[in-house]
Amino acid sequence: MGLLTPLALFLLLPCLCFAPPLPLRSSSASSTNPATPAVPEPIAQEKPPAEDSEEEVRPPITEKVMRATLPAAHTPATYGVTDGPYFIAQRTIVEDYCGWGWVRKENETWRQATWIAMEGTPNGCPIPHTFLPKPEDDKDQQYRFYGHFAPYRAYEPQADMWVDVFILKGFMSMGPAQSIRRDPPAHGSSRPNRFAERGANMLKP
Amino acid sequence: MRIWLSLTLLALTQPIAQAHDIILISGGPALRSFEKYRTASHDKYWGNFIDSAVLRAKELQTTLPPTDKIVWLVFRPSYQRRGQEEKEDYFKILEERGFKAGISPIYFDNKDQLFTLLRRDGSKEKPKISRLEYFGHSNKKCWMFDYSNRVDGGALEPLVVHVDDLDQISGKSFTSDAECISYGCHSGEEFSQRWRMIVGRPMVGAVGKTDYSDGGIPKLSTGKGGTWAY
Repeated sequence: MGLLTPLALFLLLPCLCFAPPLPLRSSSASSTNPATPAVPEPIAQEKPPAEDSEEEVRPPITEKVMRATLPAAHTPATYGVTDGPYFIAQRTIVEDYCGWGWVRKENETWRQATWIAMEGTPNGCPIPHTFLPKPEDDKDQQYRFYGHFAPYRAYEPQADMWVDVFILKGFMSMGPAQSIRRDPPAHGSSRPNRFAERGANMLKP
Repeated sequence: MRIWLSLTLLALTQPIAQAHDIILISGGPALRSFEKYRTASHDKYWGNFIDSAVLRAKELQTTLPPTDKIVWLVFRPSYQRRGQEEKEDYFKILEERGFKAGISPIYFDNKDQLFTLLRRDGSKEKPKISRLEYFGHSNKKCWMFDYSNRVDGGALEPLVVHVDDLDQISGKSFTSDAECISYGCHSGEEFSQRWRMIVGRPMVGAVGKTDYSDGGIPKLSTGKGGTWAY
């Protein structure tokens, strides 16, 4: 018996001293047996990142390509003062009609929008289309407009209409949008009047 | 003594020739940055309304009574902006041209200033107007001094004379036989008639477009069946 105790100690001590390390907390979830040594997976680490990143780097979609190739893509993303209240504005071109397009408040619909003319001021914010080769290059582009309405109006000579004037302080490009199917105000006071009905006295050449 | 008295009486009974003013108004040119993309582009040359007024002044001076004076009113802001755009001092050029014709410009900046300049009472300081001629942009209802200069394809409200503004021009500022002509486009289609009704003097205007491109006094555009009317 006196020999058995040292013999047992001699056999058990190395087992206790050279016990395998406990598994890490992170690897415990994947391993069913916590006593099993966590074997690193060198294959997974050595894999090229192509397989993993395939989901993240998506190929450009057609719409993105189309947007990037539009001339309006050259308009600055933001310009001038772009803090404070703003209007949603959409460039609309009506042939032979003075004005820039429609503006509305954020919570309004395009039916409630106002047709505006833009006044170009020498020290003010340039009108967005002035960054582009032609004025019609930003047709149907949408912007956030920072600025205010002028206390005076502009005269539209084709329709004899008064149009609101917007003083631009800054803008933010929002990209292309669907055309607004709505005519600008027209022919308000150009109807025949009692003076015109009298007719002119023609001078014979 | 008798001779002196008779000479004095004779001088008092003689009608004194009244001095009158002849008003020439030059509107402003459009900006090329607005107009260059249009099919019917306006104002390729900046001085259409200056040259025509200067030439007209030269013509009038040959028949002008010695008491009468030509007053040349020029809309200033448009020449300033066109000059900035083309990096030219157009004021210097137009003043030189006026000087050669014996006239100097009086600048106005908006329609209110124009109305003030046209307000006359027949005194020595403010003689009545015996003739008024306008050179500039217009349509059938409006004189547009700053057409396509601050707003693309339009004009600002304080810088146009609409037919609804004509009641601010008094017929008493004109002589009873005053002659008025508008050399702007389409004035004869309505503006002239409203002028005659409100101001009380006939105004000759164009039915159709007028053309300044040949220089000198504008003429009716050809091929549109245009005519002059009052």
